[in-house]
Amino acid sequence: MTEMFSTLFSQNEVQGPPGSSSLGFGPGKPPPPLPQNQVSMAGQIPPQLGDEGPALRKPGAMNEPFYLLRELPVGNELTGNTNLITHYNLEHAYNKFCGKKVKEKLSNFLPELPGMIDCPGTQDGSSLRSLIDKPPVCGNSFSPLTGALLTGFRLHTGPLPEQYRLMHIQPPKKKSKHKHKHHRLQDPLPQETPSDSDPKKKKKKRDDDPDRKKKKKDKKKKKNRHSPDHPGLAGSQPNSNSLR
Amino acid sequence: MAERFDNLEEHLEKFIENIRQLGIIVSDFQPSSQAGLNQKLNFMISGLQDIEKCRQQLHEINVPLEVFEYIDQGRNPQLYTKECLERALARNEQVKGKIDTMTKFKSLLISELGKVFPEEMGKYKAIHGDDAPS
Repeated sequence: MTEMFSTLFSQNEVQGPPGSSSLGFGPGKPPPPLPQNQVSMAGQIPPQLGDEGPALRKPGAMNEPFYLLRELPVGNELTGNTNLITHYNLEHAYNKFCGKKVKEKLSNFLPELPGMIDCPGTQDGSSLRSLIDKPPVCGNSFSPLTGALLTGFRLHTGPLPEQYRLMHIQPPKKKSKHKHKHHRLQDPLPQETPSDSDPKKKKKKRDDDPDRKKKKKDKKKKKNRHSPDHPGLAGSQPNSNSLR
Repeated sequence: MAERFDNLEEHLEKFIENIRQLGIIVSDFQPSSQAGLNQKLNFMISGLQDIEKCRQQLHEINVPLEVFEYIDQGRNPQLYTKECLERALARNEQVKGKIDTMTKFKSLLISELGKVFPEEMGKYKAIHGDDAPS
């Protein structure tokens, strides 16, 4: 193989088989001299299609043994060789998001948002995608409702029909893991005899008391949430005390 | 920049709380609650006005559409950030591996060509010797 390459570049003619000259890899004949027009045209060769790299060398260099030798590209300072996270000072962000475990649900990101936010938005038509696909009418100014307009908001007394009751549905909270564990441990021992040792009884009582306390706390929280006097998220409304 | 987000966040939280209280009033409406209902409705409109004012400060903020897909699926949008960073790091490592491999190949090729074609490689180095990349 090296002999083939050396014959291409060497000036000495090597007599090969007569058929080989038709393939173009014949004996080491030097290329015929280009006519003057072609030389000048070669000097004015425009950048080839898709030529994002460096331009061809000057015509004088074409007499070198290397054909179509290009300039080496200018090296960029920023390549994949550098750690781009440290380059753009994203180490803190990387450790924050990738070092710790990020919780899966949306409610973990927005814990104070009421309602069932972990459900897909397509189920109840509250998806952000639908807002992009069908943007609402904008541009109108917001004006307060006058007395005449407020007459349209006179409601009937009494509770809402069940089909419209969505506000009170809250996602179940997962604080009961420890409770379930205690209950599961105690389930196989439904009725202990008085002959049981005292430490077991004491453990039972201790287990019951925190459970009762937790249940009471949950009930209190639920009551407080449903009352309009609850302080809320970032401060209450100024006239919330008017509600009973 | 964080102040603009804090301002918007505060307005949104107040708006959501107002809507929640409105829902409680409506769920079991009493005649005495009519005044409170009217007040809440006007608070809702003023809340929308405040959010509209915040919009002007945030018109240059761009949010990737993929984040909306996470939110619509009920997933934490921080997972998108995490996955972006992980993908960027993986891609960075992949490209670095390619660069290292090509660098090694180049040095190996030059050395081998220098052994087989010493004269030609001498001429090549004479041409590219000054501008050869490190």
